[in-house]
Amino acid sequence: MHIHELNPWRTLIALSAFIVILIIGLITMPKPLLKYEKTVDESVNALVESDAYFYPWELEQVIAKETDTIVLFDLRNNFVFGQGHIPGAENLSASVLSRKENIERMKKLRDLGVTVVLYGDSELDANGPWMLYRQVGFNNVKLLLGGYRYYFEHKDDLSATINDDGYKRGIARYDYAEMAAPKDGAVLSDIEKPVQVQRRQKSNVAAGGC
Amino acid sequence: MGPLIPNGVIGAGWDFVIAILIGIAFGFILEASGFSSSRNLAGVFYGYNFVVLRVFFTALIVAMVGLMYFDFVGWLDLSKIFILPTYLAPMVVGGIIMGFGFVIGGFCPGTSFTGIAIGKLDALFFTIGLYLGIFGFSLAFPLFEGFYNSGSMGNITLTDVTGIPAPYFALAFTVIALAAFWGTMFIEKKVRKNMKQYKF
Amino acid sequence: MNKNYIILTILMLVLAVGTLFLRMSNEPKQIDPEELLQEIIQPTRYVTTDQVAKMIIQGDPSLMLIDVRSTDEYIEYTLPGAVNIPLEDLLVEDNLLYLGIPGKKVVFVSNDDIKADQAWVLTKRLGYGSTYVLKGGINCWMQTIIDPQQPEETAAATDFETYSFRKGAQMYFTGAGSDDGGSNQVNVQVQRRQKSNVAAGGC
Repeated sequence: MHIHELNPWRTLIALSAFIVILIIGLITMPKPLLKYEKTVDESVNALVESDAYFYPWELEQVIAKETDTIVLFDLRNNFVFGQGHIPGAENLSASVLSRKENIERMKKLRDLGVTVVLYGDSELDANGPWMLYRQVGFNNVKLLLGGYRYYFEHKDDLSATINDDGYKRGIARYDYAEMAAPKDGAVLSDIEKPVQVQRRQKSNVAAGGC
Repeated sequence: MGPLIPNGVIGAGWDFVIAILIGIAFGFILEASGFSSSRNLAGVFYGYNFVVLRVFFTALIVAMVGLMYFDFVGWLDLSKIFILPTYLAPMVVGGIIMGFGFVIGGFCPGTSFTGIAIGKLDALFFTIGLYLGIFGFSLAFPLFEGFYNSGSMGNITLTDVTGIPAPYFALAFTVIALAAFWGTMFIEKKVRKNMKQYKF
Repeated sequence: MNKNYIILTILMLVLAVGTLFLRMSNEPKQIDPEELLQEIIQPTRYVTTDQVAKMIIQGDPSLMLIDVRSTDEYIEYTLPGAVNIPLEDLLVEDNLLYLGIPGKKVVFVSNDDIKADQAWVLTKRLGYGSTYVLKGGINCWMQTIIDPQQPEETAAATDFETYSFRKGAQMYFTGAGSDDGGSNQVNVQVQRRQKSNVAAGGC
């Protein structure tokens, strides 16, 4: 036996310090306000669910205050909101969405079973926040198709929009191929697709050394 | 939070300062563990002293388990740390050479410096040999270059290769290490019984 | 036999077993939801059709267009040099290799901008930077680049500048009004990210 083996006490003290540090870490661990409830895969699939969207003609009953289980949130900034908004909507600027109190408010509304409809100036403006809320488990959050702009254009006759497709997304509005076809017989051989794609070898081998 | 420099918590200029501080701590622990004595170090190979195995295995399992907890509590992002690239065959050969050097010379590079620090002549000669070896290798490098760079597997971890999550490896290594602690204790006792005298 | 050794052994074993319960999921690394929300509310991810047209014409090697529409739509028409990754196949391992190449700017393209924006949100969640959304999508591309409308005579001078650029771009992409379209040299190199980071010292 030599001296280094005679002091397991010191080792015990060191290990205790180690454990204390770990416990401090576990206690001080920041608890996230939001947590992903859906995996990325599930989120991709959820994008086609039709009950995640709010259609412009459905706004009628909200405006007429026929329902108290739907809340409209206007994600535009306060100034634009003041100039005009959907009647009954509440202003919740996108820039303050991540504030703690707003997230807690959303949680409260979810627990109350209230449907939250988000809209921005165009549908695009509300798309990001809507997707995020859906991914973190707010399944009561819906996206107003067409956004404020579409509502504004059709606000006098919202029920007629049921037959309109102006708000629909992902639709090709033109016949691209024909429209972009080379005109006047010009030959544009160089900008044809597909371009040669460099496909990387799927091995893990890294090229260089140190 | 961590790693500090990649996350921009402190500037890149601090890396040398941190290196010096860690180096001082490393040297201190090596000397405090008795690693500046080549008898202690070579004892592993003769079976009368396993302090090297114990110290390094303890450091390994504490660091390994600790890093995992640190990653979990958000102090360190394990996906951002540097992983040494693996060159399978050169590493095996290098390990064998290192092992021979260890048992013949009684030091590994780091401990030879702590040996010099406390004034050991054998450590001094070991270090001179070390530099001669480095010099020789550098001159002869073109001969080894092909082998030196062969078998590169990139910056991979065991988890990348096997797909088994890292905690299982941590547990396996901890069990192996703890078993080794107890096992070597008995070997030591047996071997020392037959030794007439044992001193540092 | 020292009792302390037994305590030490048990403690270490418990700690090691504890790591098994830390994070078992093999879910790829993703950024925190709060961080994602912060990114989402920034409008910096949108690029205009004019910017993209300019980059294509100048042969900017850092541009990578990713068409997130279905394969059928892609085959029918797409922007020059675009790669097709339908949104549903976004997470296929091979497709993610197009993202995160250092020095590459990825622009997502769809008919309008919604689908592209969705692709942006999902890839952002996975931690990929330097991704952008073509504002207005191909519909807007048709309106502005392929078929630009002459501004009113009272419009601002900048509108006329934009118009003249678009007219030139139209010529470039469709050959309209030009008798020599063959000289347009666009050579888009598509590059994929290396899967492992190449060793950068550290020995």
